[in-house]
Amino acid sequence: MNALIEVLIYPISSFILISAFYLQAQEFVRSMVIGQMIQSALLGFLSFVIGFAESDYDFFILGVLIVVLRAFLVTYMLERRVPREKIHLHEKKVDVAFTFLVNLILVVTAVFLIYFLIFRSIHLVPDIGSSTIFIFPLTLFFQGLFLIASRKTTFAQIIGYVEEENALVLFAMFLLPIPLIIEASVFLDVLALVVVSSIVVIEKFAHEKMEDLVG
Amino acid sequence: MLGETLSQYLFVVFLSPLFTGIFSKFKSRIESKKGPSIFQPYYDIFKLFRKETLIPEGSGILFRYVPYAAFGVYSLISLIVPVLIPVPVFFTASADFLGGAILFSLAAFLKMSAAMNSGSNFSAMGTSRIISFNFLAEGALITVFFGVSLITATNNPYTTHSFLSTNLLQNFSLVHIFSTLAFFMLFLYETGKIPLQSEGLPELGMIDSGLNFEYSGKLLAINRWTSHMKQYLLGSIFLNVFFVPWGLFSTYPLFLLDFPVMFLKWMLLIFIVIVIETTLAKLRLFKVLDYLATAFTFSVLFLIFSEVIV
Amino acid sequence: MIAQTLLALLILFIPVASYAAYCFAGKSSLIVGGGLNVAVAGLMYFGPDLSGIFYIDFTTWVFVIMVASVHFLSVTYATKYFHGTDLGIRENTFYLLMSLFTTSMFFSLEINNFGLMWVGIEATTISSSLLLIAEKTETSLEATWRYLVLVSAGVTFAFLSIILIFYSLGTLDVSSIISHGPEASPVLALAVTIALMGFGTKVGIFPVHTWLPDAHSESPAPVSAMFSGVLLPTALYVLYRVYEIDPLTPLYLWAGVVSIAAASIFLGYQTRYKRMFAYSTMENMNLALIGFAIGGTAGITGALLLLISHSFAKAGAFYTSGSIFKASGLKKISEIKGLWKSMPASSASLLMSSLAVTGAPPFGTFFGEFLIFYGLLSMHYYFPLAIIAFFLVTAFIAVNHNVSGMLFDGESSYSEPGKVMPFLGILSSAIPVLIGLVFVVVYLETL
Repeated sequence: MNALIEVLIYPISSFILISAFYLQAQEFVRSMVIGQMIQSALLGFLSFVIGFAESDYDFFILGVLIVVLRAFLVTYMLERRVPREKIHLHEKKVDVAFTFLVNLILVVTAVFLIYFLIFRSIHLVPDIGSSTIFIFPLTLFFQGLFLIASRKTTFAQIIGYVEEENALVLFAMFLLPIPLIIEASVFLDVLALVVVSSIVVIEKFAHEKMEDLVG
Repeated sequence: MLGETLSQYLFVVFLSPLFTGIFSKFKSRIESKKGPSIFQPYYDIFKLFRKETLIPEGSGILFRYVPYAAFGVYSLISLIVPVLIPVPVFFTASADFLGGAILFSLAAFLKMSAAMNSGSNFSAMGTSRIISFNFLAEGALITVFFGVSLITATNNPYTTHSFLSTNLLQNFSLVHIFSTLAFFMLFLYETGKIPLQSEGLPELGMIDSGLNFEYSGKLLAINRWTSHMKQYLLGSIFLNVFFVPWGLFSTYPLFLLDFPVMFLKWMLLIFIVIVIETTLAKLRLFKVLDYLATAFTFSVLFLIFSEVIV
Repeated sequence: MIAQTLLALLILFIPVASYAAYCFAGKSSLIVGGGLNVAVAGLMYFGPDLSGIFYIDFTTWVFVIMVASVHFLSVTYATKYFHGTDLGIRENTFYLLMSLFTTSMFFSLEINNFGLMWVGIEATTISSSLLLIAEKTETSLEATWRYLVLVSAGVTFAFLSIILIFYSLGTLDVSSIISHGPEASPVLALAVTIALMGFGTKVGIFPVHTWLPDAHSESPAPVSAMFSGVLLPTALYVLYRVYEIDPLTPLYLWAGVVSIAAASIFLGYQTRYKRMFAYSTMENMNLALIGFAIGGTAGITGALLLLISHSFAKAGAFYTSGSIFKASGLKKISEIKGLWKSMPASSASLLMSSLAVTGAPPFGTFFGEFLIFYGLLSMHYYFPLAIIAFFLVTAFIAVNHNVSGMLFDGESSYSEPGKVMPFLGILSSAIPVLIGLVFVVVYLETL
């Protein structure tokens, strides 16, 4: 059991984190959509692994939900909105060095939070191990927020939001899974939000400051 | 012990240009060119030793003596890290792994001061470029060395080496993969390989060459030689501590086998670097920072993971 | 019990059903549906408290009747307001989203589960965001986007607190958690703190309020009224329910105080009247938050009284703003002059509603604020009280100075847009007077 966790759960969580870094550094909208898909698929896979380790079948349903709703449907909705003729649609001036350094600060913040403040008193799903594993969802969460804050394009902000949601699912998976019915409604909510946002995508690709909306 | 010490030192000093030669020969062959002889670096060094040394007007004392000092620093590093013999030799106790990293920084700093001391604008430009990149590269180098010592909880590269070569699974742990990746990225940067390519005289791509711009004759020869040594040292650390720590012997007659083993390992490294050089395109100058930031990110992630994943 | 559950269910379905009827029978069915909803909500007052699928007590009921009434008024207003304007979305889509929006608000108020409450709040964001682009302009698109991204990012943060609640209590049932009484633990304290920032995004707590003025000022008048009058209170209700788990009074109190200060400072230099009213909403919401935070009879009653009077008054203010915008086409305070002569009905409602939202005496808001002050005094929070009083006075002066400038200075030649819209404005700004009077009578009775 422990070997399985060592060998699978930590690497998958790390790759989820690395996919977040990839999203941060990526300029091209299409690649970001694909990156988001990979992240969600990894999350779904992780759910299967934990379900196997805990022999809890709720995790399998959760995994299927994640893969279908996040990895497939959300990607499909976004992909459809990427204009065909603008396959190389991208955001200018993505300062990779700067974003990475800020992200590292976020990682360190997450570590700090975990080690010194709050999470020492939280105990986990029995088999997962130490509470230091929260570093993954917390960092992912901060990165999602930072992606929303640092980018100007609608696509990037939607993807940042989905990333944030992924972080919460990851958090819930490590801590204690929320009842499935609620989890499912949350997924549907997020999907609906992405659909609504993708309507805005058509009208407005990027967002700048506006004279009328100050103060 | 004396035998080991001497052979390690002499191997580093005298054979390091050879690997540069082999590298450029192979690369030319892959590009369907005939290429220079593998001994070309030696010919270059000999030729430069025979030439007259010109000291530019307005240059200072640092300019004149730093090449020797840098050579000395690299000589010391070659005795500190396991680049040939996997057990401590004379002078190994003079610094730990972190000390080795700081010695690398010291050598880079000395070379930059010397270039600034030459009084040439061109050298100053090269120096300022290097400094604006090195703040990430040095940070990543130190973080990687710092992190790799966490694996065994000592700062001793030899302990790390023997631990890694006896525990097979540790080589596939996530932390080790991250650190290897980060260190390899740094290796490419420090030795000026594509996608960074710091060698060459085109102004926009010139990073490292700016440092040697005002040098000539004997001093240039020493500087070149130092670069070969630096490449060998970094590459061997990469091979022996991170990538393939197996196959080195330490007892008396067997350690002679280390020469061919190191040679084979270097062939592997050269092959990998050539694959990268021939498949990737050169990065634009201002993308170098992004590249180094990625390496730095990997190194810090590695540092954190090695604490988190117990 | 069963009858009450049925009523609660009915209230969820009436908005959607009235939309279905609208597709066949036209706009009047929307108005009838809205009225029916108010009637059903009124009936629920006589029913018992519920704690099965739904969790309904008196507090919930106040919010439900608020949502039902403002929805009724807004739908009636919207049927006239959109007459002859270009719409960014089709008109029947607008009414569909409006119905879903109302239903999701009822859902988050009534449901007996914190997780589903969160889902309801998120659903209000989804259903309401497209209402903002009804008047299709570049700025309204931008405002929509800010609303969508900021609020959903914030509310997502609140989901973290739901997870933590479930983790430490093992259930998400509102009724069983609340009947269990307050419980202090580090994890619950963390959950309640996160909820303040998370749900607080939608309530308009200071550092995370930035979407609020944009959304309020760029949406069409009936939608602004819904946002300000009932959407924010709905989020506040959920926040209050989370707060009840582990009351961190000082934290919530000071968050409210700081937000009130910020809101009235921002309010001081607004140049657009709808933006000004948006900041006034933020101020009132935070005052109500303080009322809930200090608790006790005075605090809770004060907060409820403030919220219900404010929802009508602010609806009136936005309806009147809509009429003025419809008549003049101008959004800036300085450009509007001399309404008193040209639009007497709208002027009267603007004056009344701006007095009401700033808490002038005969209105219900005044008594609400008074009770909250009384609660603060009785708990010896003198320093926060002084700050709040100072900034409330500042806001009072700022709003009423601006409004009197719009009403009494100069001349103008606008005309009232029809009869229904001004009437609705006057009606909804007069209701707070009624609420105030009823409260005083009842209060004196009980003395």
